[in-house]
Amino acid sequence: MPKATYILPDGSKNTLAVPNGQSLMEAAIHNGLTAILGECGGSLACATCHCFVEDAPGPLPEISDHEDAMLDMTATDRTEQSRLSCQIIMSDALDGIVLRVPDEM
Amino acid sequence: MTNPTNPARGAVSSSARLFDTENLINPYPLYQELRDAGPVIWLEAYGLYMLPRYAETKQALEDWESFSSAGGVTMNDEMNEKLRGGLLCSDPPRHDALRKVIERPVTPKALSQLRNRVAEEAKELVIRLVEQGSFDAATELAQHLPVTIVSDLVGLPEKGRERMLAWAPANFDCFGPANSDRTKAAMPIVGEMVNYAFTQCVPGKLKPDGWAQMIWDAAERGEVSVEDAPFMMNDYMGPSLDTTIFATTWLVWLFAKHPDQWQKLRDNPALIPSAINEAVRLHSPIQNFSRYVAKDVEIGGVTLPAGSRVIIAYGSANRDERKWDNPTEFDILRRDSNDHLGFGHGEHNCVGKNLARLEIRALLTELLPRVERFELLEAQIFHNNILHGLQSCRVTVH
Repeated sequence: MPKATYILPDGSKNTLAVPNGQSLMEAAIHNGLTAILGECGGSLACATCHCFVEDAPGPLPEISDHEDAMLDMTATDRTEQSRLSCQIIMSDALDGIVLRVPDEM
Repeated sequence: MTNPTNPARGAVSSSARLFDTENLINPYPLYQELRDAGPVIWLEAYGLYMLPRYAETKQALEDWESFSSAGGVTMNDEMNEKLRGGLLCSDPPRHDALRKVIERPVTPKALSQLRNRVAEEAKELVIRLVEQGSFDAATELAQHLPVTIVSDLVGLPEKGRERMLAWAPANFDCFGPANSDRTKAAMPIVGEMVNYAFTQCVPGKLKPDGWAQMIWDAAERGEVSVEDAPFMMNDYMGPSLDTTIFATTWLVWLFAKHPDQWQKLRDNPALIPSAINEAVRLHSPIQNFSRYVAKDVEIGGVTLPAGSRVIIAYGSANRDERKWDNPTEFDILRRDSNDHLGFGHGEHNCVGKNLARLEIRALLTELLPRVERFELLEAQIFHNNILHGLQSCRVTVH
């Protein structure tokens, strides 16, 4: 199973095995990483699964207009690395991806 | 608007009386009957169509050009006329302009500034109620954040504000069909609320940095018109109370009935958003709105004629067997619970949904470590044409 690493606001690292097809937001929630709120449940409506992609082993899905608009409203200002983790779906190509979770959600 | 007397070809005629008290109390058997009867129902009692299933509900909410809100979203002409042009009863581009102003204080960035304050208030409240041992979740628990914090943020004048908990549900009762007694009885109460908006919710009487004042500031900058401002007060007053209050209360009720689900959430509090979505799916605080058919449109194999009105039944769509496995089951691990339409969908999806989620999350977060299980003592359903909730839900916590 491919793996994803989440660097939490306190600096700790959590590496999770994530099934193909699951979003990185869902994987965090199901493994009890409360630093990612994922308030809306994956409907692109809350911007509370905002992450900075520190390392992506493969190409990420394009940022849709809707995601782009939500990223403009995040609590921690967006950077070039910003994504909503509900929009990153795990695949073998992304095995080893590293996300940093912002301080403010 | 004139209602057609004969239903469109293919629509299934039904004598169902959705807005009779016994069906308001428990609408679910009737919903199921209507879903099974067909995708497009003609309700003879009201001269309205209804889309009882998930797929057509979603389709209609995604097609505002055919299923217009500007033609009104209530089930009677009088109320549609009163609300014409407000946020709820408008289409793009006007709707976009109003929404931009209304949603400013509830964007994700703005809400993140509130999170700590709401969390502290929730903690104090929950500690007090847990010490008390028994409490009414519908009032003592669920009303606190919307009535204290949110009202304070909106910044409406204290004078008259205590009537808000009567005005808001009366406002929703007025969304019912013209021939419903509840609709008729509520109209004068809504008159009081409108009077309050026009005479009290004005600059000088509003909290200077509150959300309501922000509307007047936006009007001054020309983002909306000055005439729109009093109507927009209603967009903060009407929907911010009972909806959140009922969702919170249903969660407590559901967890009291399903202690295994509460245990699952205690084991992994990160699942709070899924639990909230599942409760809003299963017991949607807003059961029905309507849309005006602005042009002939085909849906569910039926061509609805321009000029007709159709009930959008969130509460029925959210239990559609064609969409959900075991739809009546409360399962916080349900994978697609965020597909529910309880916060609406499309252009008019609930502006305050993230505020509601923030408030409910704060309460659950504090309850989880302190409550092993809820014991349900007594619950009573609230009667309303549109809202579905509990007016009391007395529990003992263990």
